[in-house]
Amino acid sequence: MKFIKENGPHIKSNDSTSKIMTRFLIALTPIICFAIFKNSVIVYSYASKGFIESLHPLFMIIVGALTSFISETLYYKIVLKNDLRTSLYESYRSFGIISGILLALVLPPNIPLWLVSFGSFTGSIIGKMLFGGFGQNIFNPALLGYLFISASYSNLMGSPFNAYELDTIGGATPLSNLMNFNYTGSFENIVSPFGDLFNLFVGNIPGAIGEVSKLLIIISFIYLVITKTIKWIIPTIYVTTVFILTFIISKYIDAGVWYSLFHILSGGLLFGAVFMATDPVTSPLTTIGQILHGLSLGILTVLLRFLTPYPEGVMTSILFMNMLVPLFDKIGIKARNNIRNIIIIVITFILIIIISILNITHKLDKNSSNVSELDSKVNILEVKEDGNKKIYEVTSKGWGLIKADVEVEDKNIKSIIIKDSKDETQWNEIEKNNYIYKVIQNQNNIDKLDAVSGSTYSSNALKNIVKKVKIEEAK
Amino acid sequence: MSGLKLDGKKEMSISSEIVDFSNPSRVYVPLMNGNTICACLTKAGKKVKKGSIIGKREDLDFPILSPVSGTVVDIKKCLYQNGEMVDTVVIANDMKETLVKKNIVSDITKYTKEEFVELLRKCAIKGMGGSDFPTFLKYKGEVEILIVNAVECEPYLTADLMLCKLKAETILDSITAIMKINNIKKCFIAYKENNTIVRDAFMEYIENYNDIVLEPVKNIYPAGWERFLVKKVLGIEYDRFPSEVKVVVNNVSTIYSIYKALKYQRGISKRIVTISGEGFSIPINILVKIGTNISTVIKEIGEYKGENLKFIAGGPMMGNAIGGDNLIVTSALGAVTIISDTEDEINECMGCGRCIKVCPAKICPAFIYKNVNNKEKLKELNPELCVECGLCSYVCPSKLGLRDAVKIAKKKVKE
Repeated sequence: MKFIKENGPHIKSNDSTSKIMTRFLIALTPIICFAIFKNSVIVYSYASKGFIESLHPLFMIIVGALTSFISETLYYKIVLKNDLRTSLYESYRSFGIISGILLALVLPPNIPLWLVSFGSFTGSIIGKMLFGGFGQNIFNPALLGYLFISASYSNLMGSPFNAYELDTIGGATPLSNLMNFNYTGSFENIVSPFGDLFNLFVGNIPGAIGEVSKLLIIISFIYLVITKTIKWIIPTIYVTTVFILTFIISKYIDAGVWYSLFHILSGGLLFGAVFMATDPVTSPLTTIGQILHGLSLGILTVLLRFLTPYPEGVMTSILFMNMLVPLFDKIGIKARNNIRNIIIIVITFILIIIISILNITHKLDKNSSNVSELDSKVNILEVKEDGNKKIYEVTSKGWGLIKADVEVEDKNIKSIIIKDSKDETQWNEIEKNNYIYKVIQNQNNIDKLDAVSGSTYSSNALKNIVKKVKIEEAK
Repeated sequence: MSGLKLDGKKEMSISSEIVDFSNPSRVYVPLMNGNTICACLTKAGKKVKKGSIIGKREDLDFPILSPVSGTVVDIKKCLYQNGEMVDTVVIANDMKETLVKKNIVSDITKYTKEEFVELLRKCAIKGMGGSDFPTFLKYKGEVEILIVNAVECEPYLTADLMLCKLKAETILDSITAIMKINNIKKCFIAYKENNTIVRDAFMEYIENYNDIVLEPVKNIYPAGWERFLVKKVLGIEYDRFPSEVKVVVNNVSTIYSIYKALKYQRGISKRIVTISGEGFSIPINILVKIGTNISTVIKEIGEYKGENLKFIAGGPMMGNAIGGDNLIVTSALGAVTIISDTEDEINECMGCGRCIKVCPAKICPAFIYKNVNNKEKLKELNPELCVECGLCSYVCPSKLGLRDAVKIAKKKVKE
């Protein structure tokens, strides 16, 4: 009788890397289904779109998954010089399709397919294979792909609406709407345009295809926690931190608890927390590390939402915090040796939280003074109503005084007709740049629009008109 | 403290009785104590009695005794439980069991502490839970609390369980004697809460003993680890040895051997060994002489089942698959497990952090694995704290040899 000679242990848990990844994919299926239901089925039924055209979101997911799989296979074949069989097997073993699917799910519904492919390719090759493949990457490949797309083709990124929503809702996503109100305002201004919080919870709002249904994300999260697939500490701490910080802010601006719930239920927070921040390869291994990671993600997301003109903040936070993972783990190991080693870190974090809140409240104060500044600069002389159309007659301070008529339909600015701009010295720059058209195009994200160089005063005067009218309309 | 619930599989080998195989024609006594090589104090052709000194661990002046009477035939290399070939004294058994000195003590509590320690050394009593650590060293200092370890947390193993079932009263007598001699105030018998056999066995007699308490511990592996037990039972931690906090932890089999030493002034000549696992037809507990070649016994009991078998000296978690079945029984060998090889799908470390979560010694196996060639970094990661319980390798979804890496790191740091 021959016996195998080997070091132990001789029994192993029956979980494996591929089982974990399979469970992760299972958790993603309801979200994929809802994405297709909302952006294909509904659109096909109500928005007079062609059948193939309606299936665009499905194609996005397929293209994302296929591109990452194929590009990894090619990398194994061409760069690492394996034969085709091994390359396919290696690519299967490194679970490339997951990052492709995740990428597609955080993109808006009407993005060109080649762009999905581009993001998926760069994510897999630059984000993963160049680092040495599965287990070696520092950044989440899906998010790196997302970064590449949004950095290099932001103008092609598309809007977060599907065709059905464009017809019916119009306007802004919950978060960009919030920003237009300078992060303060009543329930009616911030939540009501999208129905109520329940709508945000079930996903009946515009947004990236996979992010909107918080209900399904929570169900998937529970499944993933029960099956011990993900590091549950990170999303729990992350979302709790966002809740607590926005709760403090809501007390400051005299809003109710709905304000914090709104922050949690809007944008990609839950999706990012559950599916992106828990990516085992790019998150800390130690418990203390995971707690610090979740805490930092929460703080950074709130800071990005309140202090920068990018109201989303989740993807950027996760990508940035990927870089700090080794540091968090180092702290985690020290804490494991002796918990007293992290007293300084705890103090630092408390200070960071206090400074963050002070910063945000300061900004909010400044914003409200900006609003009164806006009042002093833009004057509404008269509002004429004509059916569902409204025409605002306004003046706005540039170099001199701009007079204009703003035509509004369904809370959207349709046109701005300039009646007087003779005091503006550089008005030709405005016209050369077709700036009025741009202002109307970007009415929901007006703070992101840059002024025309050489004609800043006139540009700002035009932007102020839009802001003022938008605020009036939302009242 | 961490740890994990494992499938115990103990019901496989629990039977009503222990089968006696304690009459081997030849015994092979390894000249080893743990992993320390001992000197040979006999030679071929010499007649020995049961209890004659045939070897010695020189640094501790700790003897190796002959388990049978007969003639030394040879000194040859045999397979030891760590998987290596070591020198063994081969003795042809004359089956007469002639003792060096026949002696029965009527009152086993009438020893002084010094006599007791000396007796443990002379009788070569050592840790029978697997450590092989000379027991007399544990009793050298002042002792306040004794913890009897009947936890037996490795899957498949039932040797200690069976001993408790059959010899509960003797064990309690032994404990009482040890307590009286060493002036110990309190004793805890720790057992796994689901091993009710242990509880039931002692329950009958325990009422008569005020200072002995039955202490259930959680059904997790490695609940039988010394540090874990002290922490769970007493809630205290120590730096290196339990003696720092005046605690002695003894395996229940060791306690039984101490009884033999106190009563008959004899060393360990027999022990119970579990033979279990899916790869063996009749899982069983057997009573064998120290030095028995276990393959001869196995052939008499049953046969191997299945392909790609592993013959493990010890339990599946901490034992070694030694690559052959000609294993020599020592006092530290509690079991032989025969199971088939697992088919592992090995992958890169994905960073799930399970090994870190589960590690009872609070180290970070994944980071040690990644930095195994970086000595400076290893020093920060404290691999020397590892108890080699193997849980890190057990839970790893990528099936990496984490314990092996930590073992290597341990050596590197000590250099």
